[in-house]
Amino acid sequence: MVQHSLGEFEELVLLMVAALHDKAYGVLILEKLEEKLGKKINISAIHVALKRMENKGFVKSSYGGITNERGGRRKKFYVVTALGKRMLDDQYALRNSIYRLIPKISFG
Amino acid sequence: MKPTPPKNALKFLRWFCREEYLEEIEGDLVELYEDDYKKSPTRANWKFARNVIKFFRPVFIRSLKKSYHSNHQAIFRHNFLLTYRTFRRYKTSFLVNLIGLSTGMACTLFIYLWVNDELNVDKFYQKDRQLFQVMEHHERSYGIWTSPTTSGLIATTLASEMPEVVYAAATGGPAENISLSAGENYIRANGHYVGKDFFNVFSYHFIHGDKSRMLLDKNAIVISEALAVKLFNTTENLLGQVIEFEREKQFFISGIYKTLPSNASDRFDFALSYELYEEMYPSVLKWGNTGNRVYLILKAGTNTEEFNRKIADYVKVKTNNRITFRKPFIKRYSEKYLYGKYKDGVQAGGRIEYVRLFSIIAIFILVIACINFMNLSTAKASRRIKEVGIKKAVGAGRKSLVFQYLNESLAMAFLSLILAITLVFLLLPQFNEITGKHLLLNFDYSLVVSLLGITLITGLISGSYPALYLSGFKPAPTLKGKINNTIGGLWVREGLVIFQFAISVILILSVLVIYKQIEFIQTKNLGFNRDNIISFKREGKLLESTSLETFLSEVRRQPGVISASSIRHNLAGHTWGVGGFNWEGRDPEDQTEFEVIAVNYDMIETLGIEMLSGRGFAREFGDDWKNLIFNEAAIDLMGLKDPVGKSVDWGFDDRKIIGVAKNFHFESLHENIKPVVIALWQGRTDRLMVRIKAGRELETVKDLQEFYQAFNPGFSFDYKFLDQDYQVQYVAEQRIATLSRYFAGLAILISCLGLSGLTIFDTQRRIKEIGIRKILGLSTFGIVRHLSGDFTKMVLIAIVIALPLSYFVASNWLESFAYRIDLKWWFFAGAGSFALLIAWFTTGIHTVKVARANPAQCLKHE
Repeated sequence: MVQHSLGEFEELVLLMVAALHDKAYGVLILEKLEEKLGKKINISAIHVALKRMENKGFVKSSYGGITNERGGRRKKFYVVTALGKRMLDDQYALRNSIYRLIPKISFG
Repeated sequence: MKPTPPKNALKFLRWFCREEYLEEIEGDLVELYEDDYKKSPTRANWKFARNVIKFFRPVFIRSLKKSYHSNHQAIFRHNFLLTYRTFRRYKTSFLVNLIGLSTGMACTLFIYLWVNDELNVDKFYQKDRQLFQVMEHHERSYGIWTSPTTSGLIATTLASEMPEVVYAAATGGPAENISLSAGENYIRANGHYVGKDFFNVFSYHFIHGDKSRMLLDKNAIVISEALAVKLFNTTENLLGQVIEFEREKQFFISGIYKTLPSNASDRFDFALSYELYEEMYPSVLKWGNTGNRVYLILKAGTNTEEFNRKIADYVKVKTNNRITFRKPFIKRYSEKYLYGKYKDGVQAGGRIEYVRLFSIIAIFILVIACINFMNLSTAKASRRIKEVGIKKAVGAGRKSLVFQYLNESLAMAFLSLILAITLVFLLLPQFNEITGKHLLLNFDYSLVVSLLGITLITGLISGSYPALYLSGFKPAPTLKGKINNTIGGLWVREGLVIFQFAISVILILSVLVIYKQIEFIQTKNLGFNRDNIISFKREGKLLESTSLETFLSEVRRQPGVISASSIRHNLAGHTWGVGGFNWEGRDPEDQTEFEVIAVNYDMIETLGIEMLSGRGFAREFGDDWKNLIFNEAAIDLMGLKDPVGKSVDWGFDDRKIIGVAKNFHFESLHENIKPVVIALWQGRTDRLMVRIKAGRELETVKDLQEFYQAFNPGFSFDYKFLDQDYQVQYVAEQRIATLSRYFAGLAILISCLGLSGLTIFDTQRRIKEIGIRKILGLSTFGIVRHLSGDFTKMVLIAIVIALPLSYFVASNWLESFAYRIDLKWWFFAGAGSFALLIAWFTTGIHTVKVARANPAQCLKHE
């Protein structure tokens, strides 16, 4: 199996999907990310990242029910797959392990 | 109420976005929009649009291949697939259709190009709508004769007296075959003497020189760009340079104009001042002279009929009732080319007849090709009937079936169009040579529109009948194998074949008649002998009377020369007409002009004109300008008995008739022979004619050339055979002959293609019947006869229909000739049997093959 890579922005989106658990959908991810990052993101960027990760198998999606909001259009909810979770764990472990190598001296 | 996002942006999103993503993306965008809307509606709108555009990237765009956008598209694709399969399955009829339609369309395209060019001749002048030519109706004893020329004076007087006239210009000449020289270079060129407003009337584009002061000086010359390049190899810095005219007069260049486009009917190489012309020929300052062309620019919106009424009596008034037979009128200059013929003072066709004729031929050829398509499609119907039945059974409406068959024919038409354009592209040079045109395949707006138009029409005509016919079957009977309305279909099919062959027969007969008439023209005894006579211009030293005589007597002594003399006429059209004759018993109202042929001694003998009575001019009798010879037509007109020796009054001088010449054709055979007077008038002769012994033309001409150059240095010996001038009169007819041959050939070819397609189909369908008949003892010949019986019947009906029509067409064409062949019965018999033979041959090829096949094979075949 090809080792899929995870871009920086994709990783952020994936983290957010994981954090929002089963409530993650396009606009919510956008709003939360904007809140966390403190800058504007375009919705299309979120969608591109989601589609890519869905293709790679990191997330899966399902439609929610029809509501009165959004002109009656269904939301598409994303959840992290096992593969996605492992990817996140790997990334986290990798970063942590390198982080720990930083000598404890002050960076003036 | 909920805010609605911008409609167009949403539409765009729905158009490009992948189906599977659309709902999610749309939903998210709408949600964002609704949030933004609460803050600022306008900004929300903008943001929505911006967001939509940001989604326009490959990840979200639907793929082109799988775009089953709508049912329409799906059906369209399906139809194309079916069309493709049908073409592959029925290769013969596909090829027959393709060849037929593409040649048909190529023909149409050729004719379209030609007609378009003809219709645009002379239309490129800026003030085309206001540009008129003054013409005249002359009342003659034999009816009204219409002249394109008038008095030059009328230009100046009309311009000053008529408020409607903006500009008027007379032209004189033409100065033909003039040798122009600059230094060492010299060429022969044709020009006009033009009035000073000429370039205001006609919009010439000047490369050099001031348009408004072009020919103010009598010594000025204006030349075309082409002439400048030929004489000087450049068009730069030529203003003020000197050009020598006939090695005699000098002119300085005052302007250089861009050579007119090829669709100008009058293209000349140079122009000189009309004032100079008036100086050279003072007679043009009289109202009695009618040798000049006059052009006018009228004020926009002038009523031509009213203007014509105003000038109808103009000449009569100007001459104080002295000249009463001339009625000037104006005609749109650009219409003259197509509507140039007059009969008894009424406009009667002209080249427009050929334009119409060929347009009709184009339509017919296309229709013949369309008929092939119709016939083959309907003939195939029995094979496709199950397809129709099943489609209808699963719910296809008639409309969608019609659409499918139209789709097929349109696809066919477009394929043929591509082939036709290729054909036209390849054959255009040859076509240009035949028609003497400079046609180009310019894909401009109008051509593209007409191409698409022709293709659509072809597709619709050829597809309409099969579509309606095939889609009309009822599903249940067709699936059971019953075809109930074949009778109707057969009838139409037969009718169409009859139509095709009727057209072919008409074309065959036309070709035959044109060929026979041209043969008649070539072999007709003209009353003089045009063979082995060369003619060349009298110029340079030969203009002097004594050196002309010396030259002529030297030439006569050359071996190979039979006789030589000089003349003013080319015996190929009207040259010079005069009135003013008075004879015993003349009707004072009669104003008939006589054609004047000025000759030198020996001319009548050189031409071989036979004398009816009296004698020709002879030195021994000391004949001079007082002696005249008339032709029979002139004597008939004057009504003189025993004319020889009688006197006739001409220009208030007493002249004596010394002989009567038998009628001879000095104009084309379109014209009746008009009255002619032959006068001994060496001073007015402008060309020399030499009769050469047959078989010695080459060396004699060479000798003459050497002698001429020694005698008349500085002038080139440009000779023409008299026969060439004669042929020029029939250029149009020769072209028609060639074109009609090709078109008739194509029409027959296409018809035969269709017929052979039908035969192939028919024989295949009846293969079992043939097998059984053969087993029961019918001979091969019997089978062939049996199979071609139907077709023979159709072709015979076609011939019966076509013959009266073709008689009408042929006699109509021949009517334009005063001297013509009679339509003989065997022309018709020949054309008919030719068509029949071709039809037999076409069907025969297939039927014989089938008839000779082993019957066991035929029957085994399942």
